[in-house]
Amino acid sequence: MTQRSLEMTAPKLQVTDNTKLLTGATGVASDAAPLKLRALRKRWRKDLPLVLDDLDLTLEPGTTTWVGGRNGVGKTTMLRVAAGLIEPDSGRAEVWGVAPAENRVRYQQLVSFLPAGDRGLYARLTVRRQLEFWARIAMVPRERFRETVEHAIATFDLGELAERRVDRMSMGQRQRLRIAMTFLPDPEVVLLDEPLTSLDNEGAVLIETAIAEVLARDGAVLWCSPSGEHLDMTFDSRWIIEQGRLVAA
Amino acid sequence: MSDTITAAHAFLAVMRRDLHVYLSYRTRLVSQLMTALFSLTLFYYVSRLVHVSGFDSHSAYFGFVVVGLSLISVLYSCFSIPELVRQELIAGTFDRLLLSPFGAIRSVIAMSLFPMAFSFVVATLTLVLGCVIFGLQLHWSTVPLAIPVMFLVLLAFLPFGVLFAALTVVVKQGSVGTSWVIALLSIVGGLYFPVSLLPGWLQTAAKLQPFTAATDLLRHLLVDSSLGESPQTSLLKLAGFAAVLLPLSILILARSIRLGQRRGTIIEY
Repeated sequence: MTQRSLEMTAPKLQVTDNTKLLTGATGVASDAAPLKLRALRKRWRKDLPLVLDDLDLTLEPGTTTWVGGRNGVGKTTMLRVAAGLIEPDSGRAEVWGVAPAENRVRYQQLVSFLPAGDRGLYARLTVRRQLEFWARIAMVPRERFRETVEHAIATFDLGELAERRVDRMSMGQRQRLRIAMTFLPDPEVVLLDEPLTSLDNEGAVLIETAIAEVLARDGAVLWCSPSGEHLDMTFDSRWIIEQGRLVAA
Repeated sequence: MSDTITAAHAFLAVMRRDLHVYLSYRTRLVSQLMTALFSLTLFYYVSRLVHVSGFDSHSAYFGFVVVGLSLISVLYSCFSIPELVRQELIAGTFDRLLLSPFGAIRSVIAMSLFPMAFSFVVATLTLVLGCVIFGLQLHWSTVPLAIPVMFLVLLAFLPFGVLFAALTVVVKQGSVGTSWVIALLSIVGGLYFPVSLLPGWLQTAAKLQPFTAATDLLRHLLVDSSLGESPQTSLLKLAGFAAVLLPLSILILARSIRLGQRRGTIIEY
C-alpha cells in the first residue's frame, strides 16, 4: 500500500443538491447525511446475544470511516443492514434521509456494497460483459452506459482482462473486478467489507483513486476490516465494534 | 419514460447474460437437440407399436405426442427458474441483484426470459424434426395461430416457476419439488396420452389446471386434433390463470424475499 493519504479535500457540505433531490420540494432534512445508522439492533437467534446493540453511526459528506473489530463481532452485519440487504430488528438505516423501505430503488442507486470474499461474479462471463450487465442492472442511463463501463475498465486497469472470462482469472484479478463493479454506478455511499483481500499493491492504489472520486462528489466511504494495522490510508474516523456498539479506535 | 426504457434494457441484459452463459457451454445445444431427436424416435416407434383407442391411425397418436413433447420443454423452462435462483444464491450474485436498483423481483422475472425463449426454439425444432424426419403432418393453415397461443401458455405457466422461486428463497432448495410437479402435470395435463384414459377424479384434476387447456389448444392448432372444450374456453382459462396467478406469485416472491431480509436468511444458500 502506498503512503498516499485520503485526507479529505472536499468541502463538508451542509445541504447538497442530492439532499434536495431526495427529499423533494417540501424541504430538506437538516440532519441528512450520506449515511446514518440509528439505534440498530440485530439478534440472529433468541438464545444468542445482540450482534448490534443500539449501534449509531453517521458518515459525513466527503469522509472516510474505518470500522474494525474481532471476527464475528458484527461488522459485516452492520454493512449488510446499511446496504439494505438485511433488515435490523429495530433502528433505521438511511441515505440522505431515505430508508430502503421508503424508496428502495433510490436507496440502491445511492449505495454500493462490496461484500467480503470472492463471490458475486458470473464465472463464465468476461470482465466486459460482467461490467455491462452490472451497469444495466444498476440502471445506469443509456446515454452514460458506454462511458460508465469504459471508465470502470480504465479506473481499475482492467483493459487487458476485458475479454477474459472470470473463471480464468486469479483471485486478485477477480477482486479488482468486484471492486470495479462496486464503484461503477457512481454511488454516493460505498460500503467496503475487507476490500484488500487478495489485492496486490497496484490494486490497493486503484481503490484509493476510486475512493477519492467518491469523496470529490461529497460521497462517503465506510471501510470494514478486522484490523486496521495494514492500512496506510488516513481515515476521518476510526471505530471498533465491541458488544454491538461502536467505540472510538 | 426514460426509467421504463432503462428497465427494459435491464430485462434484456439479464436475457443476454443468460444467452452468453448458455453459449459458453459449446456442446449444450447439440446435446439438447439430440435429446429431442431421441424422444421423437422413441415415441415414433411406440406409436407404431401400440394401438391407442381414440386415435384412428399411428400417425394421429404420433402427432398428439409430438405436441406434448414440445410443450414439456416449455414446462421445464418455467420450472427452471427456482434452480436458476438457487444458482444465484450459491454464487452470491442474488445479493447483487437484490441490492441493485433493478431489484430481485424484476431480476427473477427477467431470469425466465431466456429459458422461455429458448424453450420456444426447442419446441419449434422438435416440430420441425418431427416433420422432416418422421413425416409429421402439421395443419399449416392454423400453425401461425399457435405462436400467440404459445405466448399465452408461457404466461400461464410462468407463475408456477415464480412460486417455486419464492419457495427456493425461503428453503434454499429449488429442484426437489419441481421434478415431481412436472411429472404430475405431464400426466394430468395429457402430454403423452389423452386425459380420457385417466380415472374420473384425475380427469377432474386435469380440467382444473392450465396444462390440459394448453395442450388441447396447441394440438388443435398444430395437428388439427379435436378439442375437449371450445377454443374460447381454453383461451379464457389460460388468460385467467395468467391474470390471477402471475400477480399473486410475484407478491409471494416479494414476501419471501422480505422475510429473508427480516430474518437475515437471504444471505444463506
